[in-house]
Amino acid sequence: MMAFQSVDTIRILPEIILSAFAILVMVLEPWVAARKSALGWLSLAGVIAAALATLKTAGSPGLAFGGSVSADGFSLFFVDLFLAIAALCLLGSIHYLERDRVHHGEYYALILLATVGACFMAASTDLIMIFIGLEISSISTYILAGFKRQELASNEASLKYFLLGSFATAFFLYGVALVYGLTGTTNLLRLREQAGGSPGAALAALALILMFVGLAFKVSSAPFQVWTPDVYQGAPAPVTAFLSTAPKAAAFAVLLRIFAGSLAGSGPVSFWVLWISAVLTMTVGNLAAIWQSNVKRLLAYSSIAHAGYVLVGITAGGAEGVSSVLFYLAGYALMNVGAFILVAHLAGRGERRVDVADYTALAAARPSAAALLTVFLVSLAGFPGTVGFFAKFYVFRAAVHAHLIGLVTIALLNSVVSVYYYLKIVVAMYMGEGETGVSAAAMPNALRAAVVLSVAGIFYLGLYPAPLLAALARIPKPGL
Amino acid sequence: MLQDYIPVLVQLIAVVAVAGGILGASALVGKKRPTREKLSPYECGSVPVGNARERFSISFYLVGMLFILFDVEAVFLYPWAVVYKSLKWFGFIEMFVYIAILLAGYLYLWKKGALDWSR
Amino acid sequence: MSWLTAHLLTVIIFLPLAGAIVLSFLRRPPSLRWAALIFSLLTLALAVGLFVRFRPGEGMQFGENRPWIASPPIRYHLGVDGLSVILILLTAFLTPLGVLVSWTGITRRVKEFHVFLLALETGMMGVFCSLDLFLFFVFWEAMLIPMYFLIGVWGHERRVYAAIKFILYTMIGSALMLVGILFLYEKTGTFDFTQILAALSSGALAVSPAAEKWLFWAFFIAFAIKVPIFPLHTWLPDAHTEAPAAGSVILAGVLLKMGTYGILRFCLPLFPNAAREFALLVSVLAVIGIIYGSLVSMVQPDLKRLVAYSSVAHLGFVVLGIFAFNRIGIEGAIYQMANHGVSTGALFVLVGLLYDRRHTRLIREFGGLAHTIPVFSAFFMIVTLSSLGLPSLNGFVGEFLIILGAFRARAAFGALAAVGVILAAVYLLWMYQRVFLGQITRDENRTLPDCNGREKIMLLAAVGAMILMGVYPQPFLRRMDVAAAQVVERVAPGGGSAARALWSAGERSR
Repeated sequence: MMAFQSVDTIRILPEIILSAFAILVMVLEPWVAARKSALGWLSLAGVIAAALATLKTAGSPGLAFGGSVSADGFSLFFVDLFLAIAALCLLGSIHYLERDRVHHGEYYALILLATVGACFMAASTDLIMIFIGLEISSISTYILAGFKRQELASNEASLKYFLLGSFATAFFLYGVALVYGLTGTTNLLRLREQAGGSPGAALAALALILMFVGLAFKVSSAPFQVWTPDVYQGAPAPVTAFLSTAPKAAAFAVLLRIFAGSLAGSGPVSFWVLWISAVLTMTVGNLAAIWQSNVKRLLAYSSIAHAGYVLVGITAGGAEGVSSVLFYLAGYALMNVGAFILVAHLAGRGERRVDVADYTALAAARPSAAALLTVFLVSLAGFPGTVGFFAKFYVFRAAVHAHLIGLVTIALLNSVVSVYYYLKIVVAMYMGEGETGVSAAAMPNALRAAVVLSVAGIFYLGLYPAPLLAALARIPKPGL
Repeated sequence: MLQDYIPVLVQLIAVVAVAGGILGASALVGKKRPTREKLSPYECGSVPVGNARERFSISFYLVGMLFILFDVEAVFLYPWAVVYKSLKWFGFIEMFVYIAILLAGYLYLWKKGALDWSR
Repeated sequence: MSWLTAHLLTVIIFLPLAGAIVLSFLRRPPSLRWAALIFSLLTLALAVGLFVRFRPGEGMQFGENRPWIASPPIRYHLGVDGLSVILILLTAFLTPLGVLVSWTGITRRVKEFHVFLLALETGMMGVFCSLDLFLFFVFWEAMLIPMYFLIGVWGHERRVYAAIKFILYTMIGSALMLVGILFLYEKTGTFDFTQILAALSSGALAVSPAAEKWLFWAFFIAFAIKVPIFPLHTWLPDAHTEAPAAGSVILAGVLLKMGTYGILRFCLPLFPNAAREFALLVSVLAVIGIIYGSLVSMVQPDLKRLVAYSSVAHLGFVVLGIFAFNRIGIEGAIYQMANHGVSTGALFVLVGLLYDRRHTRLIREFGGLAHTIPVFSAFFMIVTLSSLGLPSLNGFVGEFLIILGAFRARAAFGALAAVGVILAAVYLLWMYQRVFLGQITRDENRTLPDCNGREKIMLLAAVGAMILMGVYPQPFLRRMDVAAAQVVERVAPGGGSAARALWSAGERSR
């Protein structure tokens, strides 16, 4: 029996604080009748408290709870990333919920819980614990996707996400079961020690593929991306902002722990699985996005394509590959959350205005909103000066370092394709003639703060990525 | 390795044989004299009232779900009780926290009116 | 002052951007226009200062080198040689022209227009100053966005199509180039151009012939799209035609030169063996570009499209000169890059002014304009003559040197290029005749206003530059000497003497 130490709780202090705030918000919800936004601010306070707690956690790194959770640089990076995503989404949600008349406090509690789940996914070093984190985050997001229960599209999104999501977790769990059957442990650290003489190579490959499939659903990589457009389109846009970043990044963290870490060197199987998946994901996402006329759906396909670029970094592997993936996920979170919460605002009450055509001549009506959205899109397209450029650059550099020149060429040509559809929105905003269809309401202050913060981050990391890169280089990579 | 499973196989065959044998024998040998009373649905010995396909109050499902939730959570108490002594104070506090979280959920649904049957 | 000298390139690059930031706080269109003009003129003054202080006979100068990102080692490494200093001067010269030509034509979103114009200048200056491959790539890509907006927002009827086509073409090329850059980094561990070049030329870094071929094409296609070299030229007529006047001036004047600049700066010195191997192929394409561009120009009903296709032909000359691999050809090419910038830039200015007056660019809408707007017609005549290479105007010097260089390399190509010169005379003079000479066929053309003071200043500046470059090329040729020699040294050691020897009394080489 592993003795309990108080340092164990410090190593998961951010998660504990988040959970406490989630429960508090949930319990207070029925008592707060009029001003639900107070609960939003309370949740934000919880996120900030958790962020402060990560400093404390960083002071005493190590394994906790019998080696099932690890507080290391890797997990802390992800925890901080999820907290930043949660904070931006909360800021973008408060007025949205009021406007669309779905202002229930449970929303905030669920965002916090989904964040907790994502944090555990990134921090766990045990497959079972990873599974629990996956479930916490998934179940919260299933509900969030259907949060507009009066709307058919939102309900459809929720149900689709739930059915395919549970299907995916089943795959993952099956893989975990096979791993346990083969090795007698689910602990990733112990697995790594045993990786040398693992019996039954075929079964091991099957286990790997099953776990990959489960996670591939979560990161929406092809051919497991079919749910993504419908869910991202149907879910409330601030929820989509969260969905497309936090659970995705968490699943990538797990992929890194499993593929780049414990089971690295499991040979050509994982390499080719990743390679093919990267190519398919980029290509499918980009080619499908070209034809979209709905902005949310377009961004959904774009997020599939971005998952493909991240997979390029994972395929590359090595310390450089992992660093580049972490940088990419941070940059991607900034631009995607910013884009979706801005789209949520522009769509107007009930999110009716989400067609590219609605963005016609937005630059004339609301120059600042158009300029901010342009920054997000230009960054997603990967132009220099923005974080999107450096993110892609580092991933591709890592891939060239791993002699994947073919893969990099495919990825770069893909990113050229992506320029077309991102600029399609810019074309409508700046070059279209006529009346703009999107909401002309002024941006609420909370939303403006979130958007301006993301833009500032995009430019800061786009012009001066050195500090973050240096920090990432110092992080001990799983399995390296 | 595979031989270890032979008892399981034997039991499987025995179960199928016994159950199939009894049901098959009574179907073949037994006499059938159906009456109206015999063909009516069996409901704890009392006379059935009305149609079986009836609409239930939504609160029935709600209470059902709540019961399952709290019932399943209570299952955790059993393993805890087994190792309670070796866990000492930590175990006590841990379970206290656990019950407190359950209580928070209880408070939430109480205030939300989930237990209010008259609505 | 010493601070300014030490950071002259940084100031030249970022002064326009600072101007753009200042502009974003201004409101009234007149003050916006004046501010943009002042900032672009200040940049021009600094560029002239750079040109004057540039010491001929030396290589890279005004270097600045400090780290930007520690790992991977990306450096803020700037420097200019004779090639870039001329292009910087050209860029600084054309940007105020762009501001002036838009003075009355641009009435919609005046602020954004000038902000983008100045941001574009920063991008272009950065491209010509960067000696770090990564930095170069950043400016190369960053410059696309303002140009995209200039074409797409303020352009003519099919502007959106042209803008998208422009950006996609360029990005496909630059995607390939990025692969090449990353590959070079992988081999050398640095993005620094001078270090990579030193490693390659000293033999410290050996690239297999096959890899060198791939790398050559990865870079070359990116630049060839920009130049554009036949058959990659199809974006050009659309972009040039649909862009607003200032956009066309910058596009033709500077952006096309980035392609030839890249070939001279990177392709030839880094991959000389591959360059030699494909020189014949590229020369054939260049000659096809010359002939094809001229023939297509001849049949264009649209003035702007005619000038656009003439650019294809002119840039064909430049590429032909570069791939002659001798100093005369390359110096002629560099000179012709500047010439084409001034002449075609001025042509687009003139067409733009004509469009402001009549709101059409169709040749058949005009005729006999010399009667109503004589001063304008005179300017147009001089610019046309400069463009077709009349001796004593700038075009002649460049084309003459190129043909001479091409003749020495491959006589047949020199002869074909000479045919191109004749064709240029045909389409340009025929166009002039149809627009300005003869009887006035349309009533609208009877009442056109002639040049006003602003237009005269612009055109006088352009014509002055043409005459100066036509009769006194020495200051330019002297400065590009070393740059051309270094390129030749890499690709064809012993490639003849400097072009300026032709201008020194009786000192003919070989």
